[in-house]
Amino acid sequence: MDIINIPILKIENFLIASIQVALHDLQAVQFKDAVLQRIYESKAKGVIIDLTATDVLDSFVGRLISDIAAMARLMGTTVVITGLQPAVAITLVELGLELPGIETALNLEKGIAKLRKITESNADGSA
Amino acid sequence: MAVPKVITIQSDLDIVAARMAARDMAKSMGFGAIDQARIATAISELARNIYLYAGEGTVTVSEVQQGVRKGIEVICEDQGPGIEDISLVMQDGYTTSKGMGMGLPGAKRLMDDFEVISIMNEGTKITCRKWKR
Repeated sequence: MDIINIPILKIENFLIASIQVALHDLQAVQFKDAVLQRIYESKAKGVIIDLTATDVLDSFVGRLISDIAAMARLMGTTVVITGLQPAVAITLVELGLELPGIETALNLEKGIAKLRKITESNADGSA
Repeated sequence: MAVPKVITIQSDLDIVAARMAARDMAKSMGFGAIDQARIATAISELARNIYLYAGEGTVTVSEVQQGVRKGIEVICEDQGPGIEDISLVMQDGYTTSKGMGMGLPGAKRLMDDFEVISIMNEGTKITCRKWKR
């Protein structure tokens, strides 16, 4: 069993994880656990999962990313998916997996801007 | 013509191997990036079905020609429990208890030809093709 090592970096109050390899099911589940644990330990307000290097996203991994976003939301953290390639976006919609309720942004830079906006408005609302 | 490639599906690692084999062949045949992603994703769904419902089986990827058109053919076979009602599992949104739900209708939408043959307690054979435009 090979354990996946996807670095989860912290910048300001945000975590950034970039998926660079084709994940098999077990690795994808390990990744989910690792992200949630890091959110808990780091008290991050937002997470970016960057898929710039992902050229195939099947229903299993798509659903898992959707689960990570839902679970992170329960913990009070927002997940933004960035860098979806056109081929991946087309395939997901044709497959019928449109990932409703997930925040997305075109690239990492726009993703960080989006997270800042969301976390600032959350802070205003709850203060 | 590329040599057909047979991938044995026994674990979740083999799902990735099957979709990579299909993608590599599609790429070498000159399919564009979007069709490569469609083919790889469809094969990922079908190989996962083999793993989830039959435990093991094979995925065979080969190049096919029909007149002037060229395509890629993927045959997914298993000796699993079989599908009782094919028209039911081809309905969008149908899901079993193991429920991934995108399974067959999703894979069908990504490919051009899609045929399912299934015999209860004997197994299932799904043949699908994508043609080059």
